[in-house]
Amino acid sequence: MKRRGRGVACCWYGIARTAAVDRAGAWVELDDGGTVKVTTGVTEIGEGILTTLCQIAAEEMGVRPKDVTLGDNDTARAPEAAHAGATRQTYIIGNAVASACRDARDKFIKEMAQHWNVPGELIDTRAGEVWVRGRDLRMSMAEAVDVLKKQHGIVIVGSGSYTSLHTPLDPETGRGEPWQSYVFGTQIIEVEVDTDTGEVQVLGVWAAHDVGRAVNPQGVEGQIEGAVVMALGQALMEDFTLKDGRTTTPGFAKYILPTSLDVPQVNSIIIEDRDPKTPLGVKGIGEPAMVPTAPAIINAIYDAVGVRITRLPATPERVLEALRAKRANEADIAL
Amino acid sequence: MLTYDQYLTPRSLAEAFEAIGRFGAAARVVAGATDVLPWAREGRAGDVHYAAVIDVSRIPELCGVELRGERVRLGANTTIAAFLANPVLVEHAPVLKHCAVWFADDQIREQATLAGNLVNASPAADATPAMLAMNSVLTLYSSANGQVRTRSVPLDEFVLGPGQTRLQPGELVGSIECDSMAGYGAAFEKVGHRRSLVISTVCVAALVRLDFAQRDFDDVRIAVAAVGPVPTRLTECEAFLQGKPVQPDVIRGAAELAADRVQSRTRREYRREVLVNFVERSITDALAELGISVSSASATKEVQHA
Amino acid sequence: MPDIEIRLTVNGRKFARRCAPHLRLLDFVREELHLTGNKEGCGAGECGTCSMFVNGVLHKSCLLPVAKAQDAEIVTVEGLAREDELTILQRAFHKAGASQCGYCIPGMVMAATATLRRNPHADLEEIKEGLGGNICRCTGYQKIFAAVELARDVMNGALPATALEEETYRGSYIGASVRRLDAPSKVSGALRYAADMTMPNMLHMQVLRSPMPHARIAALDVSEAATMAGVETVLTCNDVPGVDNYGVFIDDQPVMARGVVRYVGEGIAAVVAENPLIARAALAKIKVRFEELPAVFDAEEAMQPGAPQLHDAYPGNVCKHTKIRKGDVERGFAESDLIVEETYETQAIEHAYLEPEAGLAYLDADGTVTVQAPDQNITHHRHMLARILNRPINTVRLIMSPVGGGFGGKEDMLYQGMLALAAIKTRRPVRYVFTREESFIASAKRHPFRIRYRMGLRKDGRILATSMYMIADGGAYAMSGPGVMNKAAILGAGPYAIPNVRMDAICVYTNNTPAGAMRSFGAFQSEFSTEAHLDLCAEKLGMDPIELRRVNAMRDGAITHTQAQLGSVSLLRTIEAAAQAARWAPGEPHRQTRGEQRPDLGGNDTRKPCTLGARLARITTPANTVGSASERKAVQT
Repeated sequence: MKRRGRGVACCWYGIARTAAVDRAGAWVELDDGGTVKVTTGVTEIGEGILTTLCQIAAEEMGVRPKDVTLGDNDTARAPEAAHAGATRQTYIIGNAVASACRDARDKFIKEMAQHWNVPGELIDTRAGEVWVRGRDLRMSMAEAVDVLKKQHGIVIVGSGSYTSLHTPLDPETGRGEPWQSYVFGTQIIEVEVDTDTGEVQVLGVWAAHDVGRAVNPQGVEGQIEGAVVMALGQALMEDFTLKDGRTTTPGFAKYILPTSLDVPQVNSIIIEDRDPKTPLGVKGIGEPAMVPTAPAIINAIYDAVGVRITRLPATPERVLEALRAKRANEADIAL
Repeated sequence: MLTYDQYLTPRSLAEAFEAIGRFGAAARVVAGATDVLPWAREGRAGDVHYAAVIDVSRIPELCGVELRGERVRLGANTTIAAFLANPVLVEHAPVLKHCAVWFADDQIREQATLAGNLVNASPAADATPAMLAMNSVLTLYSSANGQVRTRSVPLDEFVLGPGQTRLQPGELVGSIECDSMAGYGAAFEKVGHRRSLVISTVCVAALVRLDFAQRDFDDVRIAVAAVGPVPTRLTECEAFLQGKPVQPDVIRGAAELAADRVQSRTRREYRREVLVNFVERSITDALAELGISVSSASATKEVQHA
Repeated sequence: MPDIEIRLTVNGRKFARRCAPHLRLLDFVREELHLTGNKEGCGAGECGTCSMFVNGVLHKSCLLPVAKAQDAEIVTVEGLAREDELTILQRAFHKAGASQCGYCIPGMVMAATATLRRNPHADLEEIKEGLGGNICRCTGYQKIFAAVELARDVMNGALPATALEEETYRGSYIGASVRRLDAPSKVSGALRYAADMTMPNMLHMQVLRSPMPHARIAALDVSEAATMAGVETVLTCNDVPGVDNYGVFIDDQPVMARGVVRYVGEGIAAVVAENPLIARAALAKIKVRFEELPAVFDAEEAMQPGAPQLHDAYPGNVCKHTKIRKGDVERGFAESDLIVEETYETQAIEHAYLEPEAGLAYLDADGTVTVQAPDQNITHHRHMLARILNRPINTVRLIMSPVGGGFGGKEDMLYQGMLALAAIKTRRPVRYVFTREESFIASAKRHPFRIRYRMGLRKDGRILATSMYMIADGGAYAMSGPGVMNKAAILGAGPYAIPNVRMDAICVYTNNTPAGAMRSFGAFQSEFSTEAHLDLCAEKLGMDPIELRRVNAMRDGAITHTQAQLGSVSLLRTIEAAAQAARWAPGEPHRQTRGEQRPDLGGNDTRKPCTLGARLARITTPANTVGSASERKAVQT
């Protein structure tokens, strides 16, 4: 017997380090060929932060994302950007890169204004071109860099940093401002429960998450989809077990992860509630997207078959055991 | 980590037995080799060293699939992938294709062999119940005084317990013969903690043939794995159904006979319940393959359980 | 051990090499031919990062002795693309955003290639089954499915080749789905992760790990191991020149066990040798005499008087207790119409990044010690290493290698100290690559929580008081535990306006595998209980669970549980957006007990239930003219 049901759960999450000041720095150079070199101690762990930062730098500098080169994350070569965690990279480092780019761009505009002898406010840059509004003055960024270097001896460099101020918690009451920015989200999940085996198949997920501002919507979706499936693993199958301190799940044969056959269709809905406290209005998504999935699954199981799983994971054994207990209970009541 | 000094690939039985004789217990015989490498790791056997690994996958006598009258001969090296790819197996051993889609994954199925799955004698071996249901008999080869000897052992006597079989030191599985089951409806049910590349908590293989009028059960074969130390046929369920009409309550009645077959100490209640449900479902699914719908079976159950 | 000669064709080129007979095809290709595109994720055939074609058939090359592939034609991920032109599938992966950390992607591209070769018209179900042996931990598979379907359609002419090209962006680059710049290097296998890196004269490290959960090390004798041929050095805690005590919030962890081991898998000594095989052999020659100490494996037991103590500075084994006190919960409960109590438990889980821990350390020409590793926090790791190594911080350098998945698991420092010491002591490059099993036993897990929940509500659904008492098993070392407690406490009661809140999040030392940072960091556990609890409350109130959340949702300017004031609160926007997208039909949970069926199920934005056997319909014989029986069974909801 297959039964379907749906569950809902919400989440909230604080962005960047908790109850402690958070910060990052970045350097930028407008380089030969109209390219942009960005150096910051950013850590790409797969979420796509490098692409995100290239988009930000391209937008701020007026070049194309492919014109941006990011330096390696190296403590001896790059300014501190701290860690890849706490849903902080787009928020903290993205804003640091934007700030460094604005510094460099301001210098560039000032020099070009002198070169063309026009007010700087009339100068625009975009997609590798620089021009003066209302005038027949235009050149590629490559030419502009060449002109500034060879005619004026100017190398355009900028730097910037971003700080997010958070206060520690009072040790007795917990009072404090642990973050300056929060995100919220809601997921609805549809499951099918096989009452012959206790298996739960998650069929559909509707995940609506506020990210502040989606720099790369495809990347945001990727974060939501990955988070949902990782949480599905914890909700239904993953269990690192120990017996007297020794693991009984020492590898992937015993530690069960979701495969392509276990995952739902994930429908992401990106909500943009821009953060007024930051230059870019961005917030974050990596961690919050994982929070509502497991309870929404558990709630959907209840909706489908009327049993509450309070202990994760909801393995087929536990679901069937709960169904057995429910039947026994109902039989008792009937008597 | 698995280490060895030599890797031998004999091209004939004679070569193989020469190598087996030379190294004795210091050698390990492999065919697909998909189980030995994961076994020789931390958390299982740890570091393992052999003087030689003897790979029998290139011995012609151990290969090939053919129909021999009412029986099908599967060479020991038949891969699980052949369950889906070999036309003889698809027609004459219809349960194997259902078994195959649940067996590990596409890549391991290309390498893992039928004999390997039987010889490893895992209580949860997926191929074993499917082969049991088809009255399989193994042909075992050994060597004495330079002569290759053969003997036959029925599969239901071959597996003795977890990791234990009647295979003697120095013996090789040559082939497995089973009934031709052409025209039977077949099904394979399995549950684990996910749906791909997973160890069975319970698995059931079923084959069903109806009488000429398509009303009564004429021949039913059901076997199960992962509910005890050894995969077994559910003979009492089969006998119960023999000659009875195709009706939901008859199928459920047969299924309920299976519950006491669960011997596992862990997850026992779970396995009892799933086994009964699987016997019912496998017969229903096998019938569906014959175009017979007994969907009211679920409705009956619904009434019972709601 | 005598070598054997292996002759193979790899990516169209013939190779003959003498090598150790026990190498697997994966070792041969990666270590002998230096084709590192395919990765080792598990070594046990369970993950698929190593999938390669052998005579046209896809195999997991970690399960294949190289001698078994003698004379075969091998194609690795490097062999798919011709002359810098990515294949249609690789381009589709790029277009669809199907790669994230990239570690599974070479194997995934191979599996997708095999699937479409087997059936160029494979539907989504058959594609999923074709990828069923390849684990991806980052993407949730959605964009991988999209990529394979895109490639299939382009190959079949159902879509034009231009469908693979990047869209042109008008307007701002911020907000555009610019294709990932690192994707080509990931789909082609060109990107080198730490385990793919080699340096001339490089040594290899292996680590002796504790088999005991709690023991005093009475004697440790490495002399025999140190004098073995091929062994360069053996490191123990005696080799640490600086402060051998580090951590994120609490300094409680040595680089290698110092006199006592506190969990199974804790590093005791490290052997540095010419190759990993010699290093492993030397580990077996290290003599350790343990004096077993009483151990504790349950967090609540560890808090009891008389329980074994793990760290002298933390009597009672409590390493962190975060409290939140807002309003008066007892009064809130007294004023409630309904009090609902339940206990929730969440388990430890493994991050299971496909890239096991690895690193390469060496001395720069100026003597700076450099560690290149997939670290999620090189800034903090450098701070800690400078102290451990007793060096000026500018002579310690960390370079992040591409991270093959982290999820917080590569944030808590684990092995970098040993690597740095090895490079300093041997003055040679030293590489250390974990096995999957080593990653499981040694690295931190997600904190398991036990949460006693009490919530008081009015009949209209308004929450008046929430009390959560959370005990987390932190394992043997604090690692990120105190931070996890903070987040659990601050966020645990959920995004709801609740006048009275009492939260306790307590992290306890035990002799279990340490728990540390993991994605969603305490909020996963605590918010799980809240959201599950709200459903229970909705049931008891006979309310729609979304309506219950609407009633309590924080709104603009809300005061949080830590009494901070929020600005804009988007919660209701997300609730309405999700409800609308999902066509949510309001009603109390498990409404079918009253005979009322949900009308919102089974839309075309859900997937079909997986029944397996998508290809069976193609191979059936005349005797069995129908497809998979279970596929035809109607779903009864």
